[in-house]
Amino acid sequence: MYGWRGRIGLLVPSINTTMETEFWRIAPEGVSVHSARIAGGRHGTPEELRSMENASKKAAEEVAMVEPDVVVYGCTSGSFFEGPDWNKKICDQLTAITKAPTVTTAGAMAESLLAGGHRKVDVVTPYVQLTNERLKQFLKTFGIDVVKLGTFDMLDMFDHAKIQPEEIYAKVKETTTDETEAVFVACTQLRALEVLDMLERDLGKPVYSAVQASAWQAYQAMGVDPHITNCGSLLRRLSEPGSKKAPALRRSA
Amino acid sequence: MSRIGLLVPSSNTTVEPEFYRALPASVTLHTARLYLTRIAPESILRMVEDMETQAKLLASADVDVIVLGATAPSFLKGLGYDRELIEKIEKASGKKATTTSTALVQAIRHTGAKRVVLGSAYDEKVNGIAKAFLEASGFEVVGVQGLSLVDNLVVGRLSPDTAYDLAVQVDRTEADAIVLSCTNWQTLQAIERIEDKTGKPVITTTQATIWAALRAIGHTQPVKGYGRLLRELGAAAKQTHTA
Repeated sequence: MYGWRGRIGLLVPSINTTMETEFWRIAPEGVSVHSARIAGGRHGTPEELRSMENASKKAAEEVAMVEPDVVVYGCTSGSFFEGPDWNKKICDQLTAITKAPTVTTAGAMAESLLAGGHRKVDVVTPYVQLTNERLKQFLKTFGIDVVKLGTFDMLDMFDHAKIQPEEIYAKVKETTTDETEAVFVACTQLRALEVLDMLERDLGKPVYSAVQASAWQAYQAMGVDPHITNCGSLLRRLSEPGSKKAPALRRSA
Repeated sequence: MSRIGLLVPSSNTTVEPEFYRALPASVTLHTARLYLTRIAPESILRMVEDMETQAKLLASADVDVIVLGATAPSFLKGLGYDRELIEKIEKASGKKATTTSTALVQAIRHTGAKRVVLGSAYDEKVNGIAKAFLEASGFEVVGVQGLSLVDNLVVGRLSPDTAYDLAVQVDRTEADAIVLSCTNWQTLQAIERIEDKTGKPVITTTQATIWAALRAIGHTQPVKGYGRLLRELGAAAKQTHTA
């Protein structure tokens, strides 16, 4: 069957047009991506972001039917907005429904930065002020300081996908500071994946993105080495000998 | 860039990978799921209820077309039911829509075939409905064989070889084309082998759905590797079949 090495259950905000595309682009032979949509609106207001927690349960029930090996809650602000406990609550709920480990983008953001040993980072987002403050608070609880934050400052989440990769490249370059060890590009609607390699080479430091970090944790959870060589150092690390892997046995055929 | 919105039964593990295999790089796919466990009438009717909600979620991603990528649900109530579903989706979403059954009939007509054989993953009951739907659409069905499966997850685990074997088995001399039905059945990778072996056009429900979706967004470049239908995308229809 398709997905014989691993099936990813991908929950995306209904308005998202980037994450499914980027997940499929990097999926190797034998890995399949099965999406379900989280209702929630396009304006990224606090009410909308909070409502996604509840709406994600329905999407999880839908995707559970493919018997996924990992479930990804693919929204950065939708997982950090109410802090780490809220993020953990989302993970527990979705795992209870799908019987699979859950990866959230906010969790993947924190874990990818911690795994790299980065304590001082710059962040690029498309978010408005309040959401940016919440992001900083979230990372702070993991002991990570945001030194500089560059933003496209757009409330409309659908429009975040209209930001071109070259604009993201330019924003990361103008945002990053000498003090920091890495840059994180938040938001699974931002088409950052295709410029990560270029940015890392040109800036001489790791640059991670929301979709990339989510994929990194998802492949770890599945115990699959996807051999992705052109989407940044984080994903290449999955192919290094001795990289931490879950047992490579599927739960079901 | 164009966006295709796909409504897929929740337990389907095949149609998304087959779309991604065939779609050109300039087209992206966005999926919403409809809760479905069994290919049985009562389960399918419940699924249709959720369809309008999910169509709205796809519309929020501003897709260019919405396709209901499910075969049995779109012919369940016979001829014209697919049109009803299309209207429901279009009304709820404000986007143009099509269904697998609609696409299937259009694709068979496009090949000019009048007599077909039908191979499916279904049991006798659903096969009977499928046969009646094709006949009501104006085709003569000269052979039917199913794998008698009702558990959708089990269907997803079948290899493309099962499609090849059944197609060759069900084919009859008088058939103009071979139809393979069920979007959770891996058929896409068997199409060219069957066409080579039988010399007849093969139309599978997923292939026809991809074909109809690409036509709906105005994509007319050939897609190679998955049979005549997609390879001749953009070409004029064969002698039109008058139903």
